[in-house]
Amino acid sequence: MNGPQRWLAGALLLAGSTCGHAETLPLADVTLSSDADTVRRGAETVVTVCMNCHSLKYIKYRDLLNIGIDRDSLNLWKGDKDLNAPLLSLTPADMARASYGKVPPDLSLITAAREGGGRYVYSILTGFYTDKDGNTNNHIFPGIVMPDILGYSFAGNKEEQHQIEQTAADVAGFLLWAAEPTAGFRIKLGSAVILYLVILTALLYLWKRRIWKEVDHDIENSIRES
Amino acid sequence: MRKHLRQWIDTRFPLTRFVKHELTEYPTPRNLNFLWNFGFLAGFMLVLQIATGVFLTMHYKPDASEAFDSVQHIMREVNYGWLIRYLHSTGASAFFAVIFIHMARTLYYGSYRVPRELLWWSGQVLLIMLMATAFMGYLLPWGQMSYWGAQVITSLFGATPLIGDQIVIWLRGDFSVGDATLTRFFSLHYLFPFLILMLVVIHLVALHTVKSSNPSGITLHAKENIPFHPYFTIKDFFGLGVFLIIFCAFVFFKPEFFIEPDNNIPANPLQTPKHIVPEWYFLPFYAILRSIPDKLGGVIAMTLSILVFTAMPFLDRCKVPGGAHYRPVYRVMFFVFIVDVLVLGYVGANPPGGMLTTAGEIATFIYFALFIILPFTSQWENRLLARKKDLPEEALRLVREEVMEQYIDSSQEDKQ
Repeated sequence: MNGPQRWLAGALLLAGSTCGHAETLPLADVTLSSDADTVRRGAETVVTVCMNCHSLKYIKYRDLLNIGIDRDSLNLWKGDKDLNAPLLSLTPADMARASYGKVPPDLSLITAAREGGGRYVYSILTGFYTDKDGNTNNHIFPGIVMPDILGYSFAGNKEEQHQIEQTAADVAGFLLWAAEPTAGFRIKLGSAVILYLVILTALLYLWKRRIWKEVDHDIENSIRES
Repeated sequence: MRKHLRQWIDTRFPLTRFVKHELTEYPTPRNLNFLWNFGFLAGFMLVLQIATGVFLTMHYKPDASEAFDSVQHIMREVNYGWLIRYLHSTGASAFFAVIFIHMARTLYYGSYRVPRELLWWSGQVLLIMLMATAFMGYLLPWGQMSYWGAQVITSLFGATPLIGDQIVIWLRGDFSVGDATLTRFFSLHYLFPFLILMLVVIHLVALHTVKSSNPSGITLHAKENIPFHPYFTIKDFFGLGVFLIIFCAFVFFKPEFFIEPDNNIPANPLQTPKHIVPEWYFLPFYAILRSIPDKLGGVIAMTLSILVFTAMPFLDRCKVPGGAHYRPVYRVMFFVFIVDVLVLGYVGANPPGGMLTTAGEIATFIYFALFIILPFTSQWENRLLARKKDLPEEALRLVREEVMEQYIDSSQEDKQ
């Protein structure tokens, strides 16, 4: 590890340790989508920015082709790695541990592993602020070690802030996809299954009525008699 | 040809007789309501859990360093692996939901009473085995909640006097939950369902000996019985359809509802989750455990809270036929019990402290108090209803008809 990197890590750790008591705010109230465009835009940010430190070990480069990333961008991102290689961070684990004190969590399941899911990711990314001592902190995760990589806390104006919020939503959308790439198909299949079951159950109900006709008739009669 | 084949089989195996005796001529009270569907649904869930479990095992790796990854492998790379896994994980919850309703029905209608004690007790053993199976299965995904849940529950056995520590080590196969625990839980999680299957057969043999109870609580005369097939096969299949719609809605649209977010983090022995909660179906019992300040006392209370159901045939001294429907005091007690269990579940789901701890203690007291006062209230109920002289009209009608039928039968026999 070289000088500036070590200094940065130390500064971040110090910033983290001094700001441990800030208030935690509720998660941002946003509706996130993981439609194809969002996921594609999010993929770009995640691979080029987040993956400097984080891994997504359950996602392979090949999986990115399925969400419509073109081959040129993919080749640029993966370098000489195999198409079936997992998306691993540029910072090896031991180096990360040395600079941050911990290995940044793998992001493949992050939206499934946190209360709030995608909203948690969005809120963290847009939760950075500069406190009165001039240190960067986070509303959602006070004392966070991660730097404000999207630059929300030092955004110059509303427009710039809005742009970062958009990027954060894209990242959250991509990570929602990454946590369960089959979710889209699951919901599509689910609608068909439910439709099938509703029809089947309706038919079974009619069949039951037909079989029970005499018995129900009998019961009605005996009630009338008594 | 078919007739020949049947004859060939029947001389070697009582197939036709079996089908007749257990299905097409098996007498079933015709007044069963939809609550009597749940035994069949429980059987269906057992088969579904075994079937999905067998396929999951083909891809799962019971190894502390590979288990978590292999579940993700199933979710992402195995064809329809996500579906098999969600059916299995949601299925565990559905199984318990069905069993709890099945038990509540038995309690409400007094189906545990003479002559169905053995049927009820075999069900009790099934419940305990189901709980053990679910608990061991929950360790297998090797997430944070899997790990710490197993750590907490196995440590409870440490409260056993004198040999507590040895029992904990014996259960875990190690000093703390680890690879040895995972492999033995996996082995037993695969074995238990088949033991359950065997006991289900015994449960059914007992059922077919004493026959189904029914909402009136009176053993009905032949006239009121109809063959199981086709009447109850179609009714059960219709019930299954309704059940599957609800079940599949969860499997396909909300499968993560039954998976704690913490369980998507690989097990880490060095980091305790902020708040360890068991699965929802254990929450009431967990709340009872926590409500007793003493560790051994808590474990005993929790064990008793499950075993106490066994005593129901002895505790309930009421001679009035039928269930809570005809018994005003018991009916109130039943619904107090249901609300009490829900309160305990809520208490168990939240971190202890303040009001909740007090609420948990009161609810635990009510839970056991209801069982303790039952012998007295049920006898009081006997006197109360005897003073009223009359049973409810529906019950009286059934008794009248019963007597009439027997009278007609005996007079016919006399003629012969």
